[in-house]
Amino acid sequence: MTMAQMPVRPTEPVPPVPAAQRRGRAARRRRREDLAGYVFLSPWLLGLLGITAIPMLISLYLSFTDYSPLIPVTEAQWVGLDNYRRMFTADPSYWHAVRVTVTFALVAVPLKLAAALGVAMLLNRAMRGIAVFRGLFYLPSLLGGSVALAIVWRSMFNREGAFNQFLSIFGVEGQAWVNDPTWALPTLMLLAIWQFGAPMVIFLAGLKQVPAELYEAASVDGAGAWRKFSHITLPLLSPVIFFNLVLETIHGFQGFTSAFVLSNGSGGPVDSTLMYTLHLYNAGFVELNMGYASAMAWVFLLVVGAITVVLFNTGRFWVHYSDAEER
Amino acid sequence: MEPFTRSATPDQRTPASRPSRRRLLAAALVLPLALGAAACGGDDSGGSGSDDKVELSIFWWGADKRAELTEQALDLYTQKHPNVTFKKTWQANQGYYDKLATLTAGGNAPDIFQIDDNAISEYATRGVTLDLTPYTSDGKLDVSKFPKSLKEYGQVDGKLVGVAMGENTQGLVYDKTLVDKFKLPAPTTGMSWDDFIKWAASVSKASKVPGTQDPSGIYQALWVYLRQNGKDLYKGNQIAFDEADITKWFQMWKDARAAGATPTPDVIHEGNDSSVSKQLVVTGKAGTSWVWTNQMPELKKNTKNDLGLVAYPGDPSAQWARASLYFSVFRGSPHKDAAVDVVNFLANDPEAGKILGTDRGLPPNLDVRKQIESTVTDPNMKQTIEVQNELGAKFGPTTPSVPPKGHSKVKTELIRIAEEVTYGRQTPEAGAAAFVTAAKAAIGQS
Repeated sequence: MTMAQMPVRPTEPVPPVPAAQRRGRAARRRRREDLAGYVFLSPWLLGLLGITAIPMLISLYLSFTDYSPLIPVTEAQWVGLDNYRRMFTADPSYWHAVRVTVTFALVAVPLKLAAALGVAMLLNRAMRGIAVFRGLFYLPSLLGGSVALAIVWRSMFNREGAFNQFLSIFGVEGQAWVNDPTWALPTLMLLAIWQFGAPMVIFLAGLKQVPAELYEAASVDGAGAWRKFSHITLPLLSPVIFFNLVLETIHGFQGFTSAFVLSNGSGGPVDSTLMYTLHLYNAGFVELNMGYASAMAWVFLLVVGAITVVLFNTGRFWVHYSDAEER
Repeated sequence: MEPFTRSATPDQRTPASRPSRRRLLAAALVLPLALGAAACGGDDSGGSGSDDKVELSIFWWGADKRAELTEQALDLYTQKHPNVTFKKTWQANQGYYDKLATLTAGGNAPDIFQIDDNAISEYATRGVTLDLTPYTSDGKLDVSKFPKSLKEYGQVDGKLVGVAMGENTQGLVYDKTLVDKFKLPAPTTGMSWDDFIKWAASVSKASKVPGTQDPSGIYQALWVYLRQNGKDLYKGNQIAFDEADITKWFQMWKDARAAGATPTPDVIHEGNDSSVSKQLVVTGKAGTSWVWTNQMPELKKNTKNDLGLVAYPGDPSAQWARASLYFSVFRGSPHKDAAVDVVNFLANDPEAGKILGTDRGLPPNLDVRKQIESTVTDPNMKQTIEVQNELGAKFGPTTPSVPPKGHSKVKTELIRIAEEVTYGRQTPEAGAAAFVTAAKAAIGQS
């Protein structure tokens, strides 16, 4: 509808306004609106600059110094690439932490996604009280990265913990899971996998988008449950799977809280749960080598960034965007 | 109550809300700025004249009891000096140094903070602590009544950087109730390591409770052992032991484990990982724990059993009077003189000493200590004092100096590597080689 077609109230004719004046007023209003937009943005913008961007740049600088939190930043000595050299050549714990973290991510992330997808499919049925079940399965994720949960986990998987008492019903003598170097990391993985609620909810939303006609058509053609899953569900869900994969991979590499609490901050027993971020934290805040910790943080950022880029590139081969084809 | 009165005049709200929206915009812009500015406005340049109002921040770690006593003592100071008040902060030991480092990094270190020999060299060499030496010569800080060893144990690079708030020494705590129940002899001060391990094995056999926590990862036990063998943990900024010493140490405990004297590796790890109140002797998972003498009352609070206290095995003259912890003054404090006076008060004032008792160890001032000894009523404190005095008479003439920067890393590396050996992932020889390398790296010895 154009302006000319709009009905004009006959009793109050609009006084004619010169076009130039009208443009000026509109521009002023736009400027005012822009300003208002920035003003509303300002708390976030200041936060981004003050809490994220500027400190990040400072940490980049610090990663080339011997900075310790006990001295003023201005007194930090420039050491060039020493911190990076030490990381790659002179710190055996560093490579150990890398191994632990990669193992954690490689095992925990796929299992977590599989659990999330499996449960999402179960919860995607029309059934009485299904909302309650969805809520219950999401609950562990609400408790999420909380310290309390890790403490509960720690006492549950102790030698005298609830899990071993459960096993003893079947006459099985359990391990001291969290205090055993072989089992501590799997216990930590289990905690991560158990918190599958967030990807599950996203999967659930994705499953609801899959048109029911496709399944009906497949049934008519005689496709079984597995064929329907592999030929309809998986391809149509692939954008959601991709999204969850990227998010959970980043998340998996960043795992800190549960490892910190489960091992009392040490990454033990014998460094078996020494996640990268935990090693970084200890370097910065316990050994007070903040320059070294900053260098570790930057390498971490670059590596996780690179992994994300690789994931995006492989996505071209297996992620299927249905609307892209329709266009 | 008439809930709808306001909405009865809706036309009045529209004009009123216009300016308020603009005000909201202004507030949204200004508020973060104002908050930022307020955060920067924290420094006061108040002098230290005796009439000025002064608020000193003070930070320590410890349990509830220590908080209660310290707060009482500080209140007493405020009573005597009404112009001085305190901003007291305290927390558990775990995470204390993380927080202190963060505060220091932000330039907000407390005026007075508790610190111990794990970190004092780090803080002193970085220039965080105030050099207190000048205050001792002009009488503002009196350490003349301190035993010589405590005074020296507060010095880094020849400067007094911490005032000892207590004296302790290594203490072996055993479960007396358990030992008596099975009619076993009690361990004694001066028994050899071999005899002690045999004793522990006999406890395990009789009671099914492992006789002792495995101390192979406990640095102060290794330290005593090294000194008994003519070595030491450090000499200046160097380690003062070699691979052969550590191999013998790890091997001794490997044999003890084979003889059944110590718990399974996961329980040993649990003991190494626990705070004072969760030591194995308290949780009933071992007959003996390796602690510091002043921790006795805290241990006792967490168990119904009677506890006994003796020196670590071997010759007790290898032990020494250690400053259990210190109070240091922040070099950047705007109220240095006032802060030093408070530290002086806590260390030397008889009334303050009476309040503080032996919670941080025996009082550093010998006069105050004597007075406490004659008035103390708490039986566990009494036991601590008796044992410490008995041992004090046996201490050798040499006291180790304060551990160098990097000591806390050496401690954690010892635990990690000792556990590698107890879990059977490394031989004592390989563990010893790894520890020597790690210790050198931690203290920056080339």
